[in-house]
Amino acid sequence: MSKQEIKIITKIIRELSLFLIMHGFKDFSLSTKNTKDTTAFIIEIDHPKESFLDHMIDKISREREMEIETYGWELIGDIDDKTELEILGLLIDTIDVKKKADKTLITLVRNNRYLD
Amino acid sequence: MDFFTKLKKRMLIPLIFVVLFALAFVFDTPTNIYHGYINILKSPSVLISDYIRIGGLGATLFNVATIILFNIIMLRRLGFKMTGPIFAGVLTIAGFSFFGKNIFNTLPIYLGIYLYAKTQKLEFKSFMIVVLFSTGISPIVSFLIFGTTWPLYIGIPIGILVGIFTGFILPAFSAHTIRFHKGYNLYNIGFALGVISMLYAVILHSFNVNLEVGGPTSEVYHTELVIISLLLSTIFLISSFIIDKKVYRSYPPLLKSTGRLVSDFVRDYGRAVTMFNVAIMGYISIALLLLLDLKLNGPVMGGILTVMGFGAFGKHPKNALPVMLGALIGVTVTNYTLDSVGMVIALLFVTAVSPIAGRYGVIIGMIAGFIHIIITPLAYTFQGGFDLYNNGFAAGFVAAIMIPFLEAIKKQDLEEEKA
Repeated sequence: MSKQEIKIITKIIRELSLFLIMHGFKDFSLSTKNTKDTTAFIIEIDHPKESFLDHMIDKISREREMEIETYGWELIGDIDDKTELEILGLLIDTIDVKKKADKTLITLVRNNRYLD
Repeated sequence: MDFFTKLKKRMLIPLIFVVLFALAFVFDTPTNIYHGYINILKSPSVLISDYIRIGGLGATLFNVATIILFNIIMLRRLGFKMTGPIFAGVLTIAGFSFFGKNIFNTLPIYLGIYLYAKTQKLEFKSFMIVVLFSTGISPIVSFLIFGTTWPLYIGIPIGILVGIFTGFILPAFSAHTIRFHKGYNLYNIGFALGVISMLYAVILHSFNVNLEVGGPTSEVYHTELVIISLLLSTIFLISSFIIDKKVYRSYPPLLKSTGRLVSDFVRDYGRAVTMFNVAIMGYISIALLLLLDLKLNGPVMGGILTVMGFGAFGKHPKNALPVMLGALIGVTVTNYTLDSVGMVIALLFVTAVSPIAGRYGVIIGMIAGFIHIIITPLAYTFQGGFDLYNNGFAAGFVAAIMIPFLEAIKKQDLEEEKA
C-alpha cells in the first residue's frame, strides 16, 4: 500500500471516530482490514437510532468521485456538525449494515486507489 | 435523448458557448475579431489586463468562447459529468477569459498537471478540478514571453517551461493548502497559486524585471455587458423552470448549505435548483453593481461569471450577501474607494469566503467580508499579479485567521444517537 493511501485511510479513521463521538457514542470499536486492493472499516456500536443509520447510509452511499478525492481529501477528519461525512462518502465504495443481538455492525469498504 | 435533455445534463454550457460565440460576431467584424484576438494572445495578461480594452468586445467574446469550447471537448473526451465543481470551473475559466486567460497561456499548465498525473500513475481526469482552476496563473506564461524585454527565443521556452512546472507542482500543493483555511475559502487553488505567484514575483524582482504591466480597463461596452450577463442569468432561470415548474420550492434546503468545500450543489440538490441558484447569483451580482452605479468591463464581467459558476459549488444568497455587505461597509468606512477596478471586483470575489457566513452566520460573515476587502490590495502587492485569483489568495488568509478562533469558541453540541 502506498504512503498516500495510508494517509487517506488514517484520515478516514479519524473522521469516523469523530463522527461517532460527536453523535454521543461512548462505547464503540473501529477496526480495519487491509488487503492489497481494499480497505474495510468495521464499526461496532450499540444499536443506534434508525435516523442515524439512514443519515450515515445516505452520506456514504454516494458515488465515488475521484476528482473530489484528489482535490479535497485533506479535509477529511476535520468535520463539524454541519459538514460531517460530506467528503468521506465520496471516498468509500460500499456500506453494509448488519444488526446482531446487542450490537450493530457497519462495514465500509474502500477500493484502494493509490497502489504501489 | 432530446436536445434539451442533453443540454440539461451539461448544465447549459454548450448553449453558453454558442451564445457568446454568436455575440462575438454580432458586436464586431471577423477582421477586427482576428486582429483583436492576436492582440489578446500577445498580451502579457497580468492582473489587471482587460481584454476588452486590448482586443475589443468581439475578440474577447471569441476568446471566451474558444476557451469554453476547448474545455467542453476535453471534458467530453474524458467522459465527465457536469457536476458542481466542474461547472464552476468552466464558468470561472470563461469569466477570467475576459481578463487574463487565453488558449495559449493555459495549455502549458494543463500539460504540467498531465505530466504530474502520469508520474503518479493516476488518471489525468481525477485532477480535473485542479486542472480547471489551475489556469489562474496563466499570466506567468504570457508575461515571460511578452511582458519582459527578453527576445522571443528565450521568452517562449522559459514561459512554457514555467507554465508546465507550475502545473506539475500544483495538484500536491493545492491539496495541502486546503488545510490552511479548512475549506472555508472557495477559491482554494487561487490561494495556492497566490503563494506560487509570490515566489515568481520575488525571483523576477530580484533580477530587476519590471512587473508593472497591467493596464486601464474599458467601460465602453457597459450596456452590452449588462445585457449579456442578464441574458445568461435569464437562460439559467428559464431552464430551471422548464426542468421543474416549482423549482423555488426546492430552494430552501440549498440555502441551508454552509457552502464549505467541497459542496456540490448539482449532486446534493439537483440540476434545476442549482440552475435557479446560478441565475439568482447572477442577478444579485448585476444588481449590486448597478445599484452602486459601477460600470462593467472585462474584469467585472469575469467576476459575475465566476459568482454564477460558484452558484453550483458553494455560493448562494444566504451565505454570499453577508460577506458582500461586509465588503461594502469596508469600502465605505476605510480609505479604500470603488474608483479602483480591483476593489470593484473584490465586491464580487469576496464571496470566496461565503462558507464562513454559511457556517457562522450573518455578523461573522460580514466581518469576514470586511477583513477580505482590506486584505485584497495587499495580497496583490505580495503576489505580483500573476495569480488572477488574487481574491482567492486574500480569502485564504481571511479564513485561516478567523476559522481556528471561531472553531475554538463555538460550542459543540453532542447529540445522543443511541436507540
